Amino acid sequence: MIWEVFRQKKAGDYHTHCGNVHAPDREMALLFAEVQHARRMPTNSLWVVPKDEIGEVDTEDVAFGGTTDKSYRWAMTYNFEAAAEEVAASEDEQAEAERQRKAVVDGDD
Amino acid sequence: MDLETVKERAGPREFSPKDDMPEEYRKAATRMIQFHANSEIMGAYLERPFIRQAPSLERKLAFSAKVQDELGHGQLLYRAAESLGIKTRQEMLDELANGQGKFLNCFHYPMESWVETPMIAFFVDGAAMRRQATLKSTSWEPYAHAMDKVCFEEGFHVKHGEAVLHELMTGSKKEQEMAQAAFEKWWPRIIQFFGPTDKQSTHHGFASEVGLKKMSNDELRRAFLNTYIPKAEKYGLVIPDTPTIEKNDDGTYNVAEDELDWDEFFQIAKNEYEPGLGQIDSRKKAQEAVAWVRESMDNHEQRLYGGTSPQAAD
Repeated sequence: MIWEVFRQKKAGDYHTHCGNVHAPDREMALLFAEVQHARRMPTNSLWVVPKDEIGEVDTEDVAFGGTTDKSYRWAMTYNFEAAAEEVAASEDEQAEAERQRKAVVDGDD
Repeated sequence: MDLETVKERAGPREFSPKDDMPEEYRKAATRMIQFHANSEIMGAYLERPFIRQAPSLERKLAFSAKVQDELGHGQLLYRAAESLGIKTRQEMLDELANGQGKFLNCFHYPMESWVETPMIAFFVDGAAMRRQATLKSTSWEPYAHAMDKVCFEEGFHVKHGEAVLHELMTGSKKEQEMAQAAFEKWWPRIIQFFGPTDKQSTHHGFASEVGLKKMSNDELRRAFLNTYIPKAEKYGLVIPDTPTIEKNDDGTYNVAEDELDWDEFFQIAKNEYEPGLGQIDSRKKAQEAVAWVRESMDNHEQRLYGGTSPQAAD
């Protein structure tokens, strides 16, 4: 039986899929997951889920979003020197949020 | 909690719905946040026609995103106000519709042409942002929390407004003249954005003592002018003669406030200014026209969750 494994790096993060293990029951699946997926990686928590329990929909069935260029709604798009202090602070926050979004999209840990 | 304790403890994000706040505090905070929320909504309605009138697809997308953001800010703020237990969100929305709800002076004036949009999107939003940045450390925590999100998004609004202004002021001579004319029309209203001078402000003392308000009208106006007068001049706008503005040796500005039309300002403040009433009514009509959307969404939720509609997360 195949169990999909989801690893959470630190408290508050999302559990992200990191692979699978073969095991006869949940208890063994957790033990194998621990050994195979968290022995060398910083880990706060693991989930195991029976592969059969996972639902899937893919690009063959639907058109997903997230492909539109939405740069028009970010401060970084409009470049002028020396914004007011509080406007610059807002732009910094937006730039940081974009870095984090990119890290998620690109799968950086 | 008694009022003395409130004044003693009044610091950034000091009070939350967990605290038992005196009625004076809750009323003052409701008044301030409701005003802010109403302003977000009325600002959005003022800019809404320019989604359609925008001269390019990029501007259309940006204005659409901005209007959507502002309405969201209004909702966040009604939620922060609601948490004080004085008025419900519905009561506040009803007050806005029936002309009792107060909102910013600038949003009482209709906007007729595209060249006017940066007057709101750059100058008024820039002024609002100056004020909102200080409110991140207001004493009512849900209000400060809403400001985190508002300030995060607002940087795009101001810079997009600046982009439109830049485009106009580097465009044809006609465009530059029209932008200058719009600036002259809006400038006194923008100066009045921060309200009457501290001496005439009726609510400042208490709001400041209990930590709701962080800077006085005069301080905020001065800070705004220090940044935005040089900006306006850099883009080639000529600062109008009225009101007289003198630059001090230390780089700050003095505004001859008595040259401004405070009768009109206080008429607006009471929702008695004719063009402003048109703004209120047209929003009310738009709300009524889309009542069927709200109803069908409510019915849908009712079916899904059986009456216990989940509240939006803070």
